[in-house]
Amino acid sequence: MATIAVHQFAQCITCHAWSPDHSMIAFCPNNNEVHIHKLVEDKWERIHVLQKHDQIVSGIDWSIRSNRIVTVSHDRNSYVWNKEGPDWMPTLVILRLNRAALCVQWSPRENKFAVGSGAKTVCICYYEQENNWWVSKLIRKRHDSSVTSVAWHPNNILLATTSTDGKCRVFSTFIKGVDTRDSGTSSAGDTKFGEQIVQLDLSFCWAFGVKWSPSGNALAYVGHNSMIYFVDEVGPAPSAQTVAFRDLPLRDVAIILIYIDIYITHVRLQVLFVSERMVIGVGFDCNPMVFAADERGLWCFLRFLGERKRSPSGAKYGSQFSEAFGKLYGQSKHGISNDVGEASRSRGGIHENCINCIVPVKKEGESTNTRFSTSGLDGKVVTWDLENQEDLSEYL
Amino acid sequence: ANTLRLYLTCIRNTLEAAMCLQNFPCQEVERHNKPEIELKTGPELLLNPVLICRNEAEKCLIETSINSLRISLKVKQTDELENILTKKFLRFLSMRAEAFQVLRRKPVQGYDISFLITNYHCEEMQKQKLIDFIVQFMEDIDKEISELKLSVNTRGRLVATEFLKQFI
Repeated sequence: MATIAVHQFAQCITCHAWSPDHSMIAFCPNNNEVHIHKLVEDKWERIHVLQKHDQIVSGIDWSIRSNRIVTVSHDRNSYVWNKEGPDWMPTLVILRLNRAALCVQWSPRENKFAVGSGAKTVCICYYEQENNWWVSKLIRKRHDSSVTSVAWHPNNILLATTSTDGKCRVFSTFIKGVDTRDSGTSSAGDTKFGEQIVQLDLSFCWAFGVKWSPSGNALAYVGHNSMIYFVDEVGPAPSAQTVAFRDLPLRDVAIILIYIDIYITHVRLQVLFVSERMVIGVGFDCNPMVFAADERGLWCFLRFLGERKRSPSGAKYGSQFSEAFGKLYGQSKHGISNDVGEASRSRGGIHENCINCIVPVKKEGESTNTRFSTSGLDGKVVTWDLENQEDLSEYL
Repeated sequence: ANTLRLYLTCIRNTLEAAMCLQNFPCQEVERHNKPEIELKTGPELLLNPVLICRNEAEKCLIETSINSLRISLKVKQTDELENILTKKFLRFLSMRAEAFQVLRRKPVQGYDISFLITNYHCEEMQKQKLIDFIVQFMEDIDKEISELKLSVNTRGRLVATEFLKQFI
C-alpha cells in the first residue's frame, strides 16, 4: 500500500499546502475561506480560518523558510499571511489584475511569488519595505489565454507557465533591486524582465501542471489530450518527449527528488544528488500515475500507484443476463455484449473524485524525500509514500 | 436491441472522456463564472463536438468545453402520434428542469432534449453516477414513449367501442 494517511477534511478541496514542519495543513474547502488544520495527537483540529477573499480561493502556497502563506482567489485579489502571535495577519498585495487569479507559487528564495491569471497575464510580486505591501510586475504579452499553472526554476529567475492555449512558455523574471546578477547564472541574468526564453507548442489541447526537475534541466507538463510532455535541455534547442496514455487526462505533476549527504574526512561536502527520473501525475483518473525514465532517458508510463477496484458483481450479472437473452431469442451468447445491465466501473481506490493538487511532503532534516500528498474534489487529502514500492526503488 | 447496446456503450465511453470538467472563471467578465459551452466566450476553451448516430432518426450530440458539457438527444419518432407524444412528454420534463438539475430547459435546435452538466455538478455528484443517469434516461425514454402510445391506442379503442355501442 502506498498510502500513509487518508483524511476527509471537507466535501471538496480546491488546493492545499503544508506548513514547513508538516504539522499543519492549509486548504480551501471550495469556498472563499482558507482552513488551517493542525495534527493534535493523531486527530486533525481546525485552528484557523482565514477569511478575506470574496470568491473561491484558487491557489495556496506556504513558504518553507519564511513561514508565510500566499493565497490567490477568483476575486482578483491575493494576500500574504504572516503569523503574528496566535493569529495570521494579511498583508496587502497590489496585483493589478482585472480577472481571476488561478495559481500561485513562491520562488525558491521566497522573495517573489508568481500568480497566473485569467487575464492572460502573469504577475510577479515582490515585497516593498517602505509601504509594507507586495507590488507586482506583470508579464502582459505572449499568452493567448488563461495561465493555468506556474513553476519556478531553481535559479529564482526563470519561470515556466502553461496556458489554455496549449503552450508552455519560459520567461525571465529578473527584477532589479530584488534579484542579484549571479556570475554563475550569466545566461539567465542577461535577460530582462518578461522576456520569453522559449515557447513549447507540443500540445493542441489545454496545458496544465508544469514542474521543473530539481536540477532545472528538464520540464514536465500535461495536456488535456491525455499526454504528458517531458522537455530536456530547456533553452534554445529543447528536446521533447511525449508520452500518450490511454486513461483520462491529468491535472498536475510532481517530481520526486532525493537529497544525499556525502561526508569527506574533515571537510563536510554536501552534494545534491537528485533523482531526475521519476514523475507522478494526478488527474481525472482519481489515481496517481507513475512515469519513469530509463537509463537512456526515455520516459514511459509505469503504473498506477493506488489499487484499482474492479466491480466483480457487474461481470456476473452480465453473464446471467446474456444466458437468459440467449434462451429467449435463440441468439448466441457471444453475440450479446457483456454489459447488459452493467453498472459503471468504479475508478481508483482512494480518491473518489478528480485529484486537483499534488504537493511534495519534505521533512526538514530527512535525507530522502519519497512522500507527496494529493487532494481532490472528494474532499480527501491522501499522503503517499514510495518507500515500500520495490519496483519503483530503482528509479529513486 | 443489439444496436441499442452498442449505441449506449459508445455514448457512455464518450461521456467518460468528455466529462473532465474543472472550475474555470470567465475570461471576458471579471468575477463571473459561466458555462463556456453555452456562452462560447473563447474558441480555445471549446472542444470538438461529437455526433453519435444510431440511424437517421436517432442521434446524440455531445459538446464539451473546459467547465461544462452539453448533451442533446434526438429520440426515435416513427409516426405522427409518437411525434406528438415525444414533444409533450419531453416538454413536461424540461419544464421541471430544476428538479433534475442537469436538464436544460430548452433543447438545442434540431434535437428533442438537452442536458447541461457543469463542473459544479461534477463536484457535488459522482461522475460515474451522472453518466449512469444519462444512459438510463435514454433507455427509459424509448420505453416510456412506447407505453404512452400503447395506452393512447387502447383508450382510443375503448372510447370508440363505447361510443359506437349506442348505434348497434
